Amino acid sequence: MPFPSETEKKTTLDQALRGVLEAEIKGSCDDFLSLIDLSIDSVTEGICSATTPFLLLGDVLDCLPLDQCDKIFTFVEENVSTWKSVSSLFWVHGSLCDLLRRLSKSQNTVFCGRIQLFLARLFPLSEKSGLNLQSQFNLDNITVFNKNEQESTLGQKHSEEKEEGMEVEEGEMGDEDEPAPCSIPIDYNLYRKFWTLQDYFRNPVQCYDKFSWMTFLKYSDETLAVFKSYKLDDTQASKRKLEELRTAGGEHVYFAKFLTSEKLMDLQLSDSNFRRHILVQYLILFQYLKGQHILNTEENWNSWKNEGCPSFVKERPADAKPIRPTRKRPAPEDFLGKGPDRKIFMGNDELTRLWNLNPDNMEACKSDSREFMPSLEEFFEEAIEQADPANMVEDEYKVVRNSNYGWRALRLLSRRSPHFFQPTNQQFKSLADYLESMVIKLAKELPDIPSEEIKTGEEEDDDNGDNLLKETNDSPGIQHKLVSNQQMDEVAAKLGSQWKSLASQLEMKAAEMREIETESEDVDMQAKLLLVSWQDREGTQATVENLASALTAAGFPKIAEALTET
Amino acid sequence: MSVFSQSFSPCGRFLAASNNYGEIAVFSLSSSLSPEATGINQKPILTFTAHEGPIFALLSTDAHLLSAGNGEISAWSWAELAKRNPKAVWIRRPQYKSSLEIPEINDMIVNCRDNSLAVGGGDNNIHIMDLETGVFKSVLQGHTDYIHCLSMREREGELLSGGEDGAVRIWDCRTGQSVHRLEVYKYEECARPQYGKWISCLTTDSDWMLCGGGPSLSLWHLRSLSPTSIFPLSGCQRQAMFYQDLILSVGEGHFLSHCLLGGDVKSLIPCSPPSLNTVALNTNSTEHRVLTVGGSSDQIDVFTNLSYKAFSLSF
Repeated sequence: MPFPSETEKKTTLDQALRGVLEAEIKGSCDDFLSLIDLSIDSVTEGICSATTPFLLLGDVLDCLPLDQCDKIFTFVEENVSTWKSVSSLFWVHGSLCDLLRRLSKSQNTVFCGRIQLFLARLFPLSEKSGLNLQSQFNLDNITVFNKNEQESTLGQKHSEEKEEGMEVEEGEMGDEDEPAPCSIPIDYNLYRKFWTLQDYFRNPVQCYDKFSWMTFLKYSDETLAVFKSYKLDDTQASKRKLEELRTAGGEHVYFAKFLTSEKLMDLQLSDSNFRRHILVQYLILFQYLKGQHILNTEENWNSWKNEGCPSFVKERPADAKPIRPTRKRPAPEDFLGKGPDRKIFMGNDELTRLWNLNPDNMEACKSDSREFMPSLEEFFEEAIEQADPANMVEDEYKVVRNSNYGWRALRLLSRRSPHFFQPTNQQFKSLADYLESMVIKLAKELPDIPSEEIKTGEEEDDDNGDNLLKETNDSPGIQHKLVSNQQMDEVAAKLGSQWKSLASQLEMKAAEMREIETESEDVDMQAKLLLVSWQDREGTQATVENLASALTAAGFPKIAEALTET
Repeated sequence: MSVFSQSFSPCGRFLAASNNYGEIAVFSLSSSLSPEATGINQKPILTFTAHEGPIFALLSTDAHLLSAGNGEISAWSWAELAKRNPKAVWIRRPQYKSSLEIPEINDMIVNCRDNSLAVGGGDNNIHIMDLETGVFKSVLQGHTDYIHCLSMREREGELLSGGEDGAVRIWDCRTGQSVHRLEVYKYEECARPQYGKWISCLTTDSDWMLCGGGPSLSLWHLRSLSPTSIFPLSGCQRQAMFYQDLILSVGEGHFLSHCLLGGDVKSLIPCSPPSLNTVALNTNSTEHRVLTVGGSSDQIDVFTNLSYKAFSLSF
């Protein structure tokens, strides 16, 4: 018998762990929590399948009563980092959703809340499965209220009963009234109309039906007239009302669902928070109907969804750093510059130029142009095309057979594709077969690749190789125009004897200036020499822009203008 | 049509309202407040003509509804009215000096101490009638113009009257003499000469008095007989009442005013009639504890919550 493979060993351990769990299930929580811990460690060690901890967790959650599930959930919360690293968010999600279904929202509100918060934090914000992409309404949110008298829990006496009591003498008049639950008159008309409005808020689509819309209008008019007839003014509310309204907690009032008892109607109407809630509901409805920018945050969410939910993680800015004319402090020359803007002198012009393409090595490595890893689409384009049986490509010509391609494909998949980590029972005889199946999966996922743009695997190869040696075209500086000889002549002519003021702006050292003076008597020539030595020193930084800004700073705006115009 | 006066039944389940045609309408509050009330319930259960001329005053005693119009006072049994049987129990007429012109009766009030009824009206006098015997026992003379409104100061046993002559007179009921005379329009802070000097509304709770009309509605301290707060309400107020720590007032204008004791107008609640004549609060029943207002319209607005009009009864 052949020696058991790694997979077989793993499955054995998986089975063992599950068996132990089954035996321990009647034991205490801590026992199986430590078992799960053990399984996590086993995964890290590699002796157990990646899915086992989750299977164990799922089993545990399914078997335990709700009060114990609390402890298990705490364990899950604490080990959040573990779950993320093993990259099995979906497993956790699944078992927690099952748990949520078991819980009652009104009885275990806190627990439900914890689970939901946890789930919300678990996935990145741009995870599409967590989003209401089509902005659908929660139609289940029905507000219940007493529509007719039978449902009412308040015992209203009928009018027939009342009139019999008229003969009774004075003293007994008052006693006839039972201690009825209802001791205040209730405006049923408004009560009903008010709460019917909630149905429109729940499902705004109803507004498009003419009859429903008329009803909605009528009821809204009445309700808003009530709001208007009595404006709330907290400071002047009578003392009695204030005491009724004061909540136990204090300032911020939060409630999940409206309380719709008839007796509360009066109090609710006098509560400014309540009115505010209703008015916000109106706003949301109007937002939906008219698409206006009443609620701007909603607009942002809408457009974010429309863009396909781009991730909120900020990418490192790949664009070039803004170029500033190098303003060196008049310090003794140092060729170990501090900071990314300082030029570093390497002692040799060519080296200096090369090095200063991007003096900060770390930044250079991070720049986008060094991003050599191709996208899945690009790399697998040809393979996908070849996998299409309609194209009738012979097996031996398929690019997936190329071992070089295969190796790179594997690396790319491990970096970019979640399919790489999906456990599968399929046995692949060779890498090529595995790649074929991956390619088919990818083909289903990726958007259609137009068949004209074929880049062969070989070309990719060459490109990858050459990029290391090629000069990057993205380095800053070359994009801007270098000062030409002619431009320098013109500037020199305009500068004349004032070249010395420019010299300080160009950060010329005193020694250099003396040299220029001795070299030539002619001021124009001196100016020209100044510019030339500046250009020599700056190399690729000797751009029109830099010179122009130096000129402006030195007090020659007109020359600067003329320069930039040429 | 104008509704001039209202009164609630002693059991609190009915409302009687009177208008300028001499009609009285009885409404059933319990049916109109019930959850399944419809338009029918907002109509009166009984309407009948009580007097020939407009009925300016309605009053309920323990078993009877008294109505005053056309110089006479009629009494109706509430029990019979509930059974839709309008039959007057008695009709009395004060002795007027002249028998040619019958002065109207503008207001009535009951003095519980000696079970007497005080009526004031167009002949500038207040007639006191004993309710048991029906005899008019005395006449309070003093006003120089017709009397608009009456109010009772229970604790001291004094009667207050306000009239067209701008005076508020305080009468001692036992002696029948005028104890004080307040000429409200003479006080600068209250006076509104552009409207006139007449006092059309008066109410008191023994220590305090509210009066208004031509002059602004004002709150007076009766001990010192001085105004403490003036309410900046536009228009002339026709009826005012104390309610908890608020003052409710109606008059010219289609709103019920809520005022604070300090003199601030807290809110103006819109009502259906363009101008209001009467406001009444049903204190006889907690289940039907509503506020009703009526005025120059056939609609009587019913408030279950003081801040907004719930529905309207239709005369």
